[in-house]
Amino acid sequence: MQNWINAYSAMNLRFLFKGLLVTLEISIVSVILSMIFGSILGIVRYTKIPWLSEIVGFIIDIIRNLPLLLIIFFVYFGLPSLGFKPDTIVAAIFAMTVFESMMIAEIIRSGIGAVNRGQLEASRAVGMKYYQAMWHVILPQAYKNMIPALVSQLISLIKDTSLATIIVTPELMQHAQVIYGQNANYIVPMYLALAVLYFIVCYSLSIISRIIDRKMA
Amino acid sequence: MSMIEFRKVQKYYGKFHALKDIDLEIDKGETVVLIGPSGSGKSTLARSVNGLETIQSGQLIVNGRDIADKKTDINRIRTDVGMVFQHFNLYANKDVLENIMIAPRIVLKMNEDENKKNAMALLDQVGLADKAHNMPSQISGGQAQRVAIARSLAMKPRCMLFDEPTSALDPEMIDDVLGVIKYVTSQSDMTSLIVTHEMGFAQEVANRVIFMDDGQILEDDKTDVFFKNPSNERARQFLSKIISH
Repeated sequence: MQNWINAYSAMNLRFLFKGLLVTLEISIVSVILSMIFGSILGIVRYTKIPWLSEIVGFIIDIIRNLPLLLIIFFVYFGLPSLGFKPDTIVAAIFAMTVFESMMIAEIIRSGIGAVNRGQLEASRAVGMKYYQAMWHVILPQAYKNMIPALVSQLISLIKDTSLATIIVTPELMQHAQVIYGQNANYIVPMYLALAVLYFIVCYSLSIISRIIDRKMA
Repeated sequence: MSMIEFRKVQKYYGKFHALKDIDLEIDKGETVVLIGPSGSGKSTLARSVNGLETIQSGQLIVNGRDIADKKTDINRIRTDVGMVFQHFNLYANKDVLENIMIAPRIVLKMNEDENKKNAMALLDQVGLADKAHNMPSQISGGQAQRVAIARSLAMKPRCMLFDEPTSALDPEMIDDVLGVIKYVTSQSDMTSLIVTHEMGFAQEVANRVIFMDDGQILEDDKTDVFFKNPSNERARQFLSKIISH
């Protein structure tokens, strides 16, 4: 019992909380960046621009089929040899963004494809340009339909930030490891704390998505 | 003066020859009805007039501009040519009023007050002013099609294409939609091309009837001539089948 009380000392909790903030920072920045890049890539892939769409599709297919861990290693240990030496948080954000952009691009491409073809025809038939039809008619419908798929992808993004532990990014998982590294009795209490914290963050995201979904329906 | 002119137009879907050597002239102000069995190419013909289908060879001149010419600004032509679809295709993310106002706003850069006044007047004309703030999913098919017609008219087109405008409607909705179409075609400066299976309606509004089969125009006659005494054998068979029901 004493172990549990000691494990959750104010100092340890503060340290965990600091890790949580870094996890959230990596998550939020990666989510924003990968939504932007993923949308652009997904639209390019959908639009079938000669050459460009095929090249983008090829890159998406490659990266999607690599383990995220490999990408994290590559960014942190590989890029310095190319002259770019990111710190651990930047490396984590960079790797997450590269990987998640590809996942989101595929969700967006299929989401746009699922919008009834007649919507585009009706927009073009009144003289809207392709980008105008996309912006005003197709994308709003596509994003609305994609909310559940996007949210579940974002939830896995948040959980996957724990992989950044491997390059000693000071995020939630890594901070927990530091704490139980000092005392093996803290291992189980720390795992429990991790489970609770990740659950709270991810589950509140799915609740928010359900509310948005219901509001928009 | 012709509004729409097909000159030796060919259209293929892959190997399938959808429009075979089409020659057709439609004058300003005319109302032309296009009939024929399904798969005969009538929708393809109508859809090529505003470039929703691209033709492979020949010339297609709409309001003085050749659609097949790469230098032609297709969006400019589309502002002159309204289109009404079988499945209405109202923008699902916009309410009824916004459906009508969006294209004049972003394509014609119409002033917002004028646009709204114009849109409300059109909604009133099609009898749906009270539905202005409904979403497309909240109105019936017949209402949606009338909104779709108003949406096309908001661009002040010179020519209207109707691609089977009543085929997806419940029978009791059809009359309201036909009534609106009749009103549109009755305006003397409006050119209309209507693909339909409603023979009674065709007889009532058309100046000319064109019968298509297998990608070809087999008969092109004044309405009363066509319905009383079609010269083409296939057209005669088609009519007898439809009218006997």
